[in-house]
Amino acid sequence: MSETAGIVLAGGRSSRMGTPKAALEWHGSTLLRRTAGILARVADGPVVVVRAAGQALPELPPAVEVVDDPCEGLGPVQGLAAGLAAVAGRAEIAFVCSTDLPFLHPAFARRMLRAVADGADVGLPVARGYPQPLAAAYRTTLAPVAQRLVREQRLRPAFLFDECTVTRLDDAALRADPILAALDPDLDSVLNVNEPADYEAARARPAPEVIVQRFGTLADGHRGPRTVRAATVAGAAAATGLALDGHVVAALNGDQITRDGEVPLAAGDTVFFLAADAGG
Amino acid sequence: MAAGGYFGRALLVDAGTEAATALPLSDDLLRAYIGGVGLGAWLMHRLAPPGVDPLAPEAPLAFVFSPLVGTPLTTSAKFAVVAKSPLTGMLNDALSSSHFAISGKLTGNDAIVIRGACRRLSALLVDGDSVRLVDAADLSGLPAAEAERRLRDRLGRGWRIAAIGPAGERGVRYATVSHDGRHAGRGGLGAVLGAKRLKAVAVRAGAKVASADPQAVLGAARDLRARSFGPATAKYRELGTLANLLAFNAISTLPTRNFQTATFAEAPQLAAEELAQLRTVTRNSCASCTIGCEHIYKAKGGKQARVEYENVFALGPMCGVSDPDAVLAASGRCDELGLDTISAGGTIAWAMECAERGLIDAPWLRFGDADAVIRALDEIGARRGLGDLLAEGTRRAAERVGGGSAAFALHVKGLELPGYEPRTLQGMALGLAVNARGADHNRSGAYEADLSGDYDRMAGGDAQIAGAIETEDRAAVMDSLILCKFLRGVFTEPFDEWAALLSAVTGWDTDGAELRQTARRIVLAKRAFNIREGWQPEDDWLPERLLTEPIAVASGRVASLTPDRLRGMIDSYYAARGLDSEGRPAEASLADLRLD
Repeated sequence: MSETAGIVLAGGRSSRMGTPKAALEWHGSTLLRRTAGILARVADGPVVVVRAAGQALPELPPAVEVVDDPCEGLGPVQGLAAGLAAVAGRAEIAFVCSTDLPFLHPAFARRMLRAVADGADVGLPVARGYPQPLAAAYRTTLAPVAQRLVREQRLRPAFLFDECTVTRLDDAALRADPILAALDPDLDSVLNVNEPADYEAARARPAPEVIVQRFGTLADGHRGPRTVRAATVAGAAAATGLALDGHVVAALNGDQITRDGEVPLAAGDTVFFLAADAGG
Repeated sequence: MAAGGYFGRALLVDAGTEAATALPLSDDLLRAYIGGVGLGAWLMHRLAPPGVDPLAPEAPLAFVFSPLVGTPLTTSAKFAVVAKSPLTGMLNDALSSSHFAISGKLTGNDAIVIRGACRRLSALLVDGDSVRLVDAADLSGLPAAEAERRLRDRLGRGWRIAAIGPAGERGVRYATVSHDGRHAGRGGLGAVLGAKRLKAVAVRAGAKVASADPQAVLGAARDLRARSFGPATAKYRELGTLANLLAFNAISTLPTRNFQTATFAEAPQLAAEELAQLRTVTRNSCASCTIGCEHIYKAKGGKQARVEYENVFALGPMCGVSDPDAVLAASGRCDELGLDTISAGGTIAWAMECAERGLIDAPWLRFGDADAVIRALDEIGARRGLGDLLAEGTRRAAERVGGGSAAFALHVKGLELPGYEPRTLQGMALGLAVNARGADHNRSGAYEADLSGDYDRMAGGDAQIAGAIETEDRAAVMDSLILCKFLRGVFTEPFDEWAALLSAVTGWDTDGAELRQTARRIVLAKRAFNIREGWQPEDDWLPERLLTEPIAVASGRVASLTPDRLRGMIDSYYAARGLDSEGRPAEASLADLRLD
C-alpha cells in the first residue's frame, strides 16, 4: 500500500463562476489539470478526481483516476466520502482539495500530509483566517465515517472533525516549515477562485519563478541554470527557447522524468531538459 | 547457394595446428540467428565443450560477421567477438567496428572461430581459406594499436588486424580485443585470445558477396544516411556519449565512489559541455558510419584520448577522480594496456573502498587519488603486486579478500556495473540483473524506458517489465544484424524497418514479427548457454549494496530498491519471457533454438 494519495473534488456547480471551474484555462493548461498534477507530484499512490456523474472534465493524464460522486450536491463530506473510499486500501493518507486552488504548492500539501503521518486523523490548515477542509489531509480509514455522516445528513466537515483527531495548523504553524515558508510565504496555496474577477486576478499574476537548465546538445549556448517564470514544463521549455518535442524530456527537481508539457510547476522548482536519447 | 549477404559457412581454425575447416551454416540457421551476437551464441552452443575453462586451448573464440556488413548501410561495419567469458564464466559477446568487419567477412566467411593454442606468441593470418601463423614475439607487451600498426607494416596493404594489449597477454580477466582503436571491450575476450598466445588476428578480403536486391539496399542506405544526420543522433555527433555525464549527475544517476552516492559534486569539470569547448581535437567515424560519435580530446602533455561516457564515469566519479587530465590519462592507459575501462574502474573503486576500510593493505589507494588510479591500472596490466588480485575482477577479488567486501563488489555474474544507478533507474536494475552477459547497458537498454517518462523510474514494478524486455529484444536484433545502437533513435517501427533491411540484403521475406521471434530466440539461446555452463537462479540478482542502501535524490525523495521489489520484477520478467519461476526455459521452447 502506498503512503499517500491525492483527491481532487471537481464536482460543484461553479454557479458564481458561470462556467465550469475545472476547465478554466491556466497557462496553456486547465485548472483541474494543474491541481491534479500538483497532487501527482506529491502523492506516491493514486490520484483521483471526484466528479458529478456525467460531468465533463478537461483532459487529464492517463494515470489520474476519475470516479463519479453518486450523490451530487450534498457538499464536501459527500465528496470526501467518495474520494476516500476510492483510495482506501491503496494509500494510508490522502490530501484532499477542490479544483480551484491555482496556487496550491506541493510543499503545502506535503506539510498537511505530514501532520497526519505524525499521528492525527486529519491535518487541517487554518490559513488566512479560515479552516480549509478542502486543502487538508485525511486518513483514508475515515471513509466509512464520512459515508455514515452523509447517511445521517450531517454534511458539514465539522461533524467529521468531531469524530476524529485533528491537527490544526494556523499560519504561524504552517510557516514554521522552512520550505513552505520560503516557497509559499503568503500561503496562497489556499487561495481559491470563485468568481470571474477572482480568476482574472489570479490569472494576471506572473507565473512562478523556476530554475531551468539544459543539458548536453540541448545546452547549445545556454549552459548553466537560468531563472524563468513558467507555470508548466512546456512553459519552462518555451521560456528557454526549447521546443518540447519527441527528442526532449524534462526532469522535475532531479526526480521524475516527463514528456508531458502540462506538468505543473510551482515556485522554487528546478527543471532539467535532457535529450530523450540519454544513455549509451 | 547462400542467401544474399552470407557465405553460408564459418571457418574453424585450430591455432595449434594451423588447420582450417569449414562449418556449413544453412539458410535456415542463419535466418534463425542472423549473425553477430545471435550467430555467435549458436556457435558457442555448438563448439564450446560443456564446462570448458574459458582460458583453455579448446575454448572457442569467434569473430562473427553479419549480413549487413559490406553494404552501404550506415553503421553496418561491425563485428562481434564471442566466447565464454573468463570473467563471468558465461556467454560473452562484445562488438567492435570498422574495416576488420568488412575484410573479415570478405575472407569468405560468416564467422572465424579459433580453437587451440599456439606454442609461442603469434599472429593468425586468415586470407580466404588460407590460414597461417606468424611469429609475434616482437609484438609482445605492445599496446594493441602499436601491435596493429607494426603488423600491418610487416604484412603490407590489404590486411586488417584485431589485436590485444599487454593485459590480454597476461590473462587479465577483463582484457579487450581491439581494432583501429575500438575495443570489443567487455568480459575479457582479450584474455581468451591471449590464452591462445595470439597477439593478433589479421584478415584480408578476397571474396565478394552480393545483396539480393542491391537497388533496394542502396535506397535504404540513402534514406538511413539522411536520417542519421537528424536530431536522433545529434547527441552522438555533437558531444558523444559523454553528454550523459552532467545530465545523469543532475538526475542522481551517476554512480560515484563505488556506488556510495549517485551524484558527483565535481561532475561539471568532466562534462562534455566543458571538454568540448576547451579540448576537442576532432571527431572520428568508424568505416561505413555517418554519425561520427567518436570525440577525441586533448590531454595534458599533448596526448590525445578518445572519450566515452563509460570510461569517464568508471575512471572519474566511480573512483572519485575529478581532474579531467587524470581521467583522460587513465582512459588512455586502459587503451594502451587493453583493459575494459568499466571493469577496470569498477574493480579499482572496490579496492579503494576495501583499502579505506582496512580490508586490503594499500594505503596509497584512496578515492579521489588520480595517481593511485594510474598506478593500479599499471599493476593490473602487469599483474604485479595488488594488480594480480585486481586483474581477477571484483567478484573473484572479493571472494579472496572477504571481510564483507562482496556486499560492495558492484558486479552481476562477475561483470562490473556500467554507469547507470539502478536505485534511481529501476527498470535498468531489472535489465542488469537478468541479462545473460551480466551487468551490461548494451545488451539491456532498459534505462531508455526509465528515462522515457512513461513510469516512475524509482518505483520498480510491473511497469518496468515491458521496457526491459523490449530493449533487450531490440539489442538482440541490432547486435545480430549488426547496426550501431547509436542509430536506434532514427527508427520509428524498428522491427519492421530492420526486417525490410534484412529482406533487401538476403532476399528473405522477413517481417517485423519474425524478427521479434528471432530476438526472443537469441535471448533464450544465451540464457540456455549459461544454464548449461552452471548458471544458478541467484546469478540473476544485484549486489547487496544496491538493495540495502537507499539513496536520496535532489528532490528530497529517497530511492530505495528492496530485495522484494527486485524479486517481484524478476518474477514478472520470467513469466513474460515464458521461463519458470527459477528462470529456466521449458524443454519445449529449447527445440526452437536449433541446437541439435
